[in-house]
Amino acid sequence: MGDVFSLVYRNIRERKGRSVLTILGITVGIGAVIALISIGYGMQESITAELIEMADVIMVTPMSMEFGSFGAFGSFTDRDLEAVKRIGGVKEAVAMRGVTEDIEYRGETFRVEVVGIEPRDMGAVFGETVKLEEGGDDGGGTTGRELRDNDHKACEIGYSIAYDYFSDEIGVNDRLTINGSKFRVVGVLEKQGGFRSDVDSQIYVTTRDAMTILDNDDISIIFVRVRNIADAEEIAAEIEERIDDNHKLDDFTSAMTMGSAVEQLEFIFGTIQVVLLAITSISLIVASLVIMNTMLMSVMERTHEIGVMKAIGAKNRNILSLFLLEVGVVSAIGGVFGCIFGVIGAHAMSFGLQTALDVEIAAIVKPEVLLGGVAVAMLVGVLSGLYPARKASKMSPVEAVRYE
Amino acid sequence: MIRTENLTKVYRMGEVEVQALRDVNLEIQDGEFIAIAGPSGSGKSTLLNMMGCLDKPTSGAIFIDDIDTGMLSENKLAEIRREKIGFIFQQFNLIHTLNALENVALPMFFAGVGRETRLKRAEELLAKVGLEDRVDHKPSELSGGEQQRMAIARALSNDPEIIIGDEPTGNVDTEAGNVIMDILEGLNREGRTIIVVTHDAEIAARAGRTKRMRDGKVLD
Ligand SMILES: Nc1ncnc2c1ncn2[C@@H]1O[C@H](COP(=O)(O)OP(=O)(O)OP(=O)(O)O)[C@@H](O)[C@H]1O
Ligand SMILES: [Mg+2]
Repeated sequence: MGDVFSLVYRNIRERKGRSVLTILGITVGIGAVIALISIGYGMQESITAELIEMADVIMVTPMSMEFGSFGAFGSFTDRDLEAVKRIGGVKEAVAMRGVTEDIEYRGETFRVEVVGIEPRDMGAVFGETVKLEEGGDDGGGTTGRELRDNDHKACEIGYSIAYDYFSDEIGVNDRLTINGSKFRVVGVLEKQGGFRSDVDSQIYVTTRDAMTILDNDDISIIFVRVRNIADAEEIAAEIEERIDDNHKLDDFTSAMTMGSAVEQLEFIFGTIQVVLLAITSISLIVASLVIMNTMLMSVMERTHEIGVMKAIGAKNRNILSLFLLEVGVVSAIGGVFGCIFGVIGAHAMSFGLQTALDVEIAAIVKPEVLLGGVAVAMLVGVLSGLYPARKASKMSPVEAVRYE
Repeated sequence: MIRTENLTKVYRMGEVEVQALRDVNLEIQDGEFIAIAGPSGSGKSTLLNMMGCLDKPTSGAIFIDDIDTGMLSENKLAEIRREKIGFIFQQFNLIHTLNALENVALPMFFAGVGRETRLKRAEELLAKVGLEDRVDHKPSELSGGEQQRMAIARALSNDPEIIIGDEPTGNVDTEAGNVIMDILEGLNREGRTIIVVTHDAEIAARAGRTKRMRDGKVLD
């Protein structure tokens, strides 16, 4: 086989410019596909990793509200909360009173969501993932503490409130003005980002302060944890029914299990991925046309050489396999470069998403995807090379005796 | 043995028809050394291409060892070209990307001969035509005479019974032409059938028999 590979190798090298073009075409096509698939896996994992811990959660909101935002006025009552707590299988139900307030700190004012919550309920809502920041960002700050039931005019603030909103950083024991009243910061929460990035831009106060000082009685979200994840859908349906009954309204309540939220997100990401893959596969089609074109040109140029080979005894399939071997080698090289390019691209995309949108999505490169990439490259190459190679193989040996 | 029966070839170029061969009946015995001469355009190359299974006749038949080649599939014809016939061209027609050894080994590759065997045999064949120290050279690095000897070595690759040369000395000087004829005579002594087209009377004289052609016909 060795001298045949050297024949193939020399033919590739002889037409360097065109071989490079072909390799480039495949590299871009395969690279784009691999980058997208790797980012896609990253998306999926970030969903599952962040939400797995919340699999037993049901978020109960009035229909008018959007997922995870306290933009609208809360409209549940304590009676609703009690009703939810009484439903079998409900482990905890926590009321959150969210409202947008003017926050002032050292002369600057921003509108921020302020959430009233019973301090003892925070653990149920935040679980393991939302923690207090330790010692401040540059080590100089003081480690704060959680809100306590008997706290008065105290608040816990999200990471962005502490570091991004105001020109001056806000630390533990600093005071900020919420709706005209001074509140003392007792703790700063760790940076969340991703699906919990809303926490970064929120301020938490006790329910008592929310009701008395901020005059906010409305419950905007009831946060429920169930005992058994398998029952979540059933319990969600019951919650909707009970609260709707309380308000004598239809479809007033939306109780969303995290399972269905995950499904929704997965569906959205899946759709995005399919669309992107469809777009990138156009680049593979372009690559395939480039290959076909360069191969046809090379077949034309080599008419005489092919004639000679047939004159000295080459069968159609000898010529066919020589050309397919050639295009296979070129596409395999393109596939390997495509893998490299794709891995770099995936990490670049991950970095871009991190810096531009502050979403942490890792590039997950699976070896089987890389292998598949090389295989697809070779498949595309050989398929697009098939027609030119067949054309070459059908050439007549008399071409050998025609003068060039 | 090669035998043609009313061999006719007509080239059609649009409206114009060219009768390149007209009812050629020719018999060449095994082990013969035959020269074919004749004016330009008389159909010598056309006849050789037919006998070498490079092209198909318009009508008539060619028998090689009593096999009617007109009945054979493309694959079978390729096998005959590979195993029974060694073709030598006026333009050498070597593969310019391959060196001497690889060029000579190529027909053996198509025949499925193992790499070691074919490279060893290619080396022997190059030695046989006096190119033992040109094994690594590309065709472009050799003189015309040397290239033609390389082409002869390639033609011998699968040990064919028949060597067909279309003006094998046409592109080399007299001295190199004589060397080539010496080699061909040697091959004839080994028992191979040699068929050459030539314009050169001196070269034709070295053949056992000379046939003249005119207007697509072989003269008696
Ligand atoms: N492919 C072709 N298409 C059309 N006409 C052809 C073709 N090949 C040969 N001919 C014509 O057939 C006739 C015989 O050509 P051929 O090449 O056999 O002559 P020749 O005897 O070999 O001549 P020369 O000594 O010049 O090589 C010529 O008139 C030539 O023009
Ligand atoms: Mg001729």
